[in-house]
Amino acid sequence: MKTASAGTLESMDCLVTVTEAAPGSGVVIELEGSSVSRFRSAMEKTVRSTLSDLGANDVTVNVNDHGSLDVVLEARVETAVKRLRGEK
Amino acid sequence: MRRTMLYLPGNNPNMLVRGHLFGSDGIIMDLEDAVAMSEKDAARTMVSKFLRRGDFGSTEVTVRINGVDTEYWKKDLEAVVPHKRLDGIRLPKADSPQIIKDVDEELSRLEDKYGIEQGHIKLFCILETAYGIWHAYDVATASKRVAAILPGGEDLVADLKTSRTPEGTELEWSRRMIVIAARAAGVDAIDLMFPRVTDDEGLRKDAQFSKDLGFDGKSVIHPNQIPIIHQIFTPTEKEIEKAQRIIAAAEDAKARGLGTVSVDGRMVDIPVVKRAHYILIKAGLEKEAE
Repeated sequence: MKTASAGTLESMDCLVTVTEAAPGSGVVIELEGSSVSRFRSAMEKTVRSTLSDLGANDVTVNVNDHGSLDVVLEARVETAVKRLRGEK
Repeated sequence: MRRTMLYLPGNNPNMLVRGHLFGSDGIIMDLEDAVAMSEKDAARTMVSKFLRRGDFGSTEVTVRINGVDTEYWKKDLEAVVPHKRLDGIRLPKADSPQIIKDVDEELSRLEDKYGIEQGHIKLFCILETAYGIWHAYDVATASKRVAAILPGGEDLVADLKTSRTPEGTELEWSRRMIVIAARAAGVDAIDLMFPRVTDDEGLRKDAQFSKDLGFDGKSVIHPNQIPIIHQIFTPTEKEIEKAQRIIAAAEDAKARGLGTVSVDGRMVDIPVVKRAHYILIKAGLEKEAE
């Protein structure tokens, strides 16, 4: 399975790891970090809409969050997906 | 007003979120030297998202792209230009008029593509070689987009085949040249940053020297440097009060048909009045003529 990451574990950032999944398996989102309990649904929404914009339908996304804003999460997901596809 | 322009590493969310809150007149989201080669893609995406969000208050927002000698510069522009909150591009290694023309052309193409007013995006040109310094006026006049020219730091020192000294002797002539070329071309002159972030006294001296040379402001690499530079580049109450008296006296003389008048025992002629207006512009009390 191909995997790609983007981001860091620094404050206000997140480390996003995207793993390719078999066609038809859909999107699986795993969230960890101290702010997840409060912002889970907002974070999931950001990840899903970013994946949808990129046309990434069959991936597993792991987010290790350190207080990132939605704009940062979106950027990290997009970079990780593009890296997975070999786009730089 | 460009007294301070603060560099923010383009791949550092912590600084990008807070950067405009430190009170600098401008920010520079950096895609060049502050970003590792392996993270160029991540920084480009990050800066693009922040620009789209556009939450920067009244700060002048610029992005330092990678130089035209790299494979990145067109991708950088493509990522940042569509967002209308972008005011300008800080262009490294802008050492010849041809480079400015090439970037100007690409900016025009992108402005057209994304429905942005032609010429909206300004250029801030960093001259990083002896050749660039020698051709500073030609660079400053190569495009109407050029808003300011700036001396380079380490690259310029290397190109001059010298090294850094505590007094800054190695770049003194280049800095003077930038001011002369900028004034001749009618653009701003922004001085290089002061690298020793904990040396407040050194910064104060360096900023005073910049101001005395005629620079409009400095680049900044740490928020703590901002108030010190603002203090030096902002006119004092006494200077403002005197400038206002000079302008009032000159207007009074004009109304009475007199050629000259004196203030505090000094003849007030056109250059003195011009300087007085410049002080009020710097104090934010008058608007600069376009």
